[in-house]
Amino acid sequence: MEKDFILAGFGGQGVLLAGEVLANGFMIDNKNVTWYPSYGAEMRGGTVNCSVVMADEDVSAVLKSSADFIIVLNQASFDKFVSMVKKGGTIIVNTSLAIEKRIRDDINYVFYPITKMAEEKLQSIKMANILSLGILSKVSGLISLESLEKALENVIPIHRRNLIPKNIEALKLGYEYDLLKV
Amino acid sequence: MATECLTDKKVLMKGNYAIANAAVLAGCQCYFGYPITPQSEIGEFMSGKMQELGRAYVSAESELAAINMTIGAASTGVKAMSSSSSCAVALMQEALSYAASDQLPVVLVSVMRGGPGLGNIYPSQGDYFQATKGGGNGDYKLIVLAPSTVQECVDLTYKAFYLAHKYKNPTVLLADGLLGQMMEPVTFKPYPYEEIDNSSWALTGAKARDGRIIRSYAPLADDQCVYLEQLFNKYRQIEENETEWEERDTADADVVLVSFGSTSRNVNTAAKILRQKGVKVGTLRPITLFPFPSKRLQELSKTVKKFVVVEVNMGQMVNDVRLAVNGRVPVELVHKPVGTPPAPDVIVKKVEELI
Repeated sequence: MEKDFILAGFGGQGVLLAGEVLANGFMIDNKNVTWYPSYGAEMRGGTVNCSVVMADEDVSAVLKSSADFIIVLNQASFDKFVSMVKKGGTIIVNTSLAIEKRIRDDINYVFYPITKMAEEKLQSIKMANILSLGILSKVSGLISLESLEKALENVIPIHRRNLIPKNIEALKLGYEYDLLKV
Repeated sequence: MATECLTDKKVLMKGNYAIANAAVLAGCQCYFGYPITPQSEIGEFMSGKMQELGRAYVSAESELAAINMTIGAASTGVKAMSSSSSCAVALMQEALSYAASDQLPVVLVSVMRGGPGLGNIYPSQGDYFQATKGGGNGDYKLIVLAPSTVQECVDLTYKAFYLAHKYKNPTVLLADGLLGQMMEPVTFKPYPYEEIDNSSWALTGAKARDGRIIRSYAPLADDQCVYLEQLFNKYRQIEENETEWEERDTADADVVLVSFGSTSRNVNTAAKILRQKGVKVGTLRPITLFPFPSKRLQELSKTVKKFVVVEVNMGQMVNDVRLAVNGRVPVELVHKPVGTPPAPDVIVKKVEELI
């Protein structure tokens, strides 16, 4: 089995970090995994993204032209990546910063006000990235909350360890997104 | 980025950090560098770690200074390195020729990006010629190692220090922007090679012995003839002992796909797909680019009907494969000028067109 993920948003929304947490989670699950950031002539206010590939065998290619699961935290990322969702794949859309629009009928949509949720329940819009991973965990069934929690320990540096409980809270909140009213 | 240096535990790490950490574990005492994308994390890591360990880190004023500082440090026998990328490695070519002539164990990490000229910062394999043929003057060879995974970035960094010192020869670890920037699980085992005794040549202060001079100047033509023959005897020895490659499914192969570095990941996938389609395909990946596995390619050309070389440049390694095969069977090229390697299905399609 091989699954492809793309996480995208504004620079500063923490999508590279979220991708690193996801990739660490897969590593903890003893999967083969690669993480590759978009880098190049990026500009302020533009989109940033990373690709994560999880595989039981060798990763077939680090960078692909489509993905099974794509998380988009802003409108520009939705516009750029909605065409790259594989048929039958899923796009998780942050409706706080992107409009709810189904422009393809061969993919699954998860529309959720991720930023608003982070602000209301966790008092910080900065938690949107990790919250979206909780949603991904529930929607994909490919990574457990436990593995993501362990991954946070690998990724968050020692001098920021005080933030781990809040990030775990964000994961759990995301996992229960469909049970909560916002 | 804070890292535990030595660990048997798998850690998820960028290729650049993995190379830097491996260099520290290999016992690198001196790092000299000047930042350039896509390898700046190497210098960033070294700037913290080397100070922490009481070793030397110098942020040089230019690439010329960095590589010449590395020559200076290497001449004292310590493990010393620099790292850079494409258009900046171009600036180091004169010094590499001198280091080859001086027979100094300089280690250089070259993380390839787009060229020629300033080019761009995307991955590329356009510096195969730069590394293996060189831009410095005269007859010389650099040992060149080409990793294809982040784990191999570690293992071949260790090996680069070992071979550089074993043969007193400048050695290049030739990675690319993809390997430098991507993360993959990796483990750091202790440096696995013996330490090379350099007491017979290193400049360590002439206490209780005569002074030594390391120089590349041979004013008499006859002396230079003898010297170059000796140098090339060493290169032949390196070819005999150190040529390394990875080969898959070549025993019954009609077609062998040849690629190096990060491109080989996609080529291996393409080969799997082609096998499933009933094409008898194998792969050969040179791990050492000098010494190049020419003999093995020559042997294979007796049973293989066609070679297809896949690389991210306009066709460079394909020339070495053609030299090895020497017209016995066709050698075709599948290439992409710059960027991440061609997708496996693109390689499959092009190979199918060629056979």
